[in-house]
Amino acid sequence: MFGYVKIRKSELLVREYEAYKSAYCGLCRQLGKDYSVLTRLILSYDCTFYAIFLMSLRRSCPGFERKRCRFNPLKKCSFCQCRDDAMRKAAALSVILAYHKLDDNIRDGSFFKRVGLKIVRPFFSRQLKKARKRYPELCDIAERMMKAQAVAEETDGCGLDMAADPTAAMLSDVLALEAKNETESRIYRQIGYGLGRFIYLIDAADDYCDDIKSGNFNPFETTRENKIEVMNNNLSQALASVFDAYNLLELVDFKGIIDNIILLGLPSVQAEIIEKVKVKYEGSV
Amino acid sequence: MKDPYEVLGVSRNASESEIKSAYRELAKKYHPDNYTDSPLADLAEEKMKEVNEAYDFIMQEKKNGGSSVGGGAYNNAYNASSQYANVRMMIQQNRLDEAEQILDSVTGDHSAEWYFLRGMCYYRRGWAQQAVQHFQRACTMEPNNMEYRQALNNMSRQQSYGFGGYNTTGMNQQSQCGVCDVCAGLMCMDCLCRGCC
Repeated sequence: MFGYVKIRKSELLVREYEAYKSAYCGLCRQLGKDYSVLTRLILSYDCTFYAIFLMSLRRSCPGFERKRCRFNPLKKCSFCQCRDDAMRKAAALSVILAYHKLDDNIRDGSFFKRVGLKIVRPFFSRQLKKARKRYPELCDIAERMMKAQAVAEETDGCGLDMAADPTAAMLSDVLALEAKNETESRIYRQIGYGLGRFIYLIDAADDYCDDIKSGNFNPFETTRENKIEVMNNNLSQALASVFDAYNLLELVDFKGIIDNIILLGLPSVQAEIIEKVKVKYEGSV
Repeated sequence: MKDPYEVLGVSRNASESEIKSAYRELAKKYHPDNYTDSPLADLAEEKMKEVNEAYDFIMQEKKNGGSSVGGGAYNNAYNASSQYANVRMMIQQNRLDEAEQILDSVTGDHSAEWYFLRGMCYYRRGWAQQAVQHFQRACTMEPNNMEYRQALNNMSRQQSYGFGGYNTTGMNQQSQCGVCDVCAGLMCMDCLCRGCC
């Protein structure tokens, strides 16, 4: 479920791209500081988006600083400074999501993969404990989602709406934590819900052919009509609802980057995945 | 009231045409058509009102008491002769659990309106696939009902969100400078330089 919330680099201004990169590096550094050197490897675009979105909402990024990169000591990178806990929260979310993703893979994977993943699990559960200490509410939300997901997939006639609901509700809850009043909460919830739905569905679309082969659950399996069209329509609809809600926000910091992700990045990811699935699916039929 | 210039995002000494274009831009962004059936429709309406008021205020200030330009008052009143008037009201107020409870307790064959309202509940929850199916059902049962048709059209509009089509922020309107432009520019420069030396 990682790596779908991307920028479209060609359409960013150079300074915006640099800001994006320094947020990415800043999150990496925070992961190293709060957890361990190894957790830096779970750095993802999705959590970078979360960090940028938080910093934009709270206006908490005063500027950038140049420091050496731990992984490439010859290079000096620019890192995003952060006045409050936005980065720390994004790092915690990265750890929590990585743990649940691992858990999920252990359940679905083949025998050898399972053994390999089980070896690293204790490491991640230790990190999860640290994250829980800092942000118990994020942990609870993620756990609720995992449970709801398992229930949904067991339910007979689980359509794609029901299957996507847990992930969508999770992001909706996560963003709603930031709300200062009812109005903000409604807007953040709709953004979160749409985005979560998009992420779940695009992941499902991406894995469609593999899931069919291996017999794993896939929400598009139950739809009878033209599958590619159903995928595309639902993804577009989810983005449209994100966009409607996003338009009601008045952001200043990082606006160009967030605009780019929502208006260009996500649709290009969608087009890319749909194209890929089309080729694979039509090849197999 | 907020600073009207801030609402429109223009400076205090902006010209009339600048103000007008800023207003038009915002009005397009918050236009109720973009928020048909959306659970956030009331928030968009509020924004629209704010923008209208700010525009009226600035225009009046500029003209020193000239005629004010009325903003559109939009309301999507649901038809009153409905079997499910209370459910409609609940949906409008986002009390979805109660609305669904009432709808789900109805037994027997469902009417087109039932499908429409059930679909609307799904839609407000973000369950788009179910919503489309329910709206389609409502439309096939009563093909002449504009309300149902509109809901279905709205869904298909959202389903065609994507590349280039849904861009109202104008962020993508920079002048394009492709590879060809660069080459052409270099060639021109080359010609000119040859003339000198």
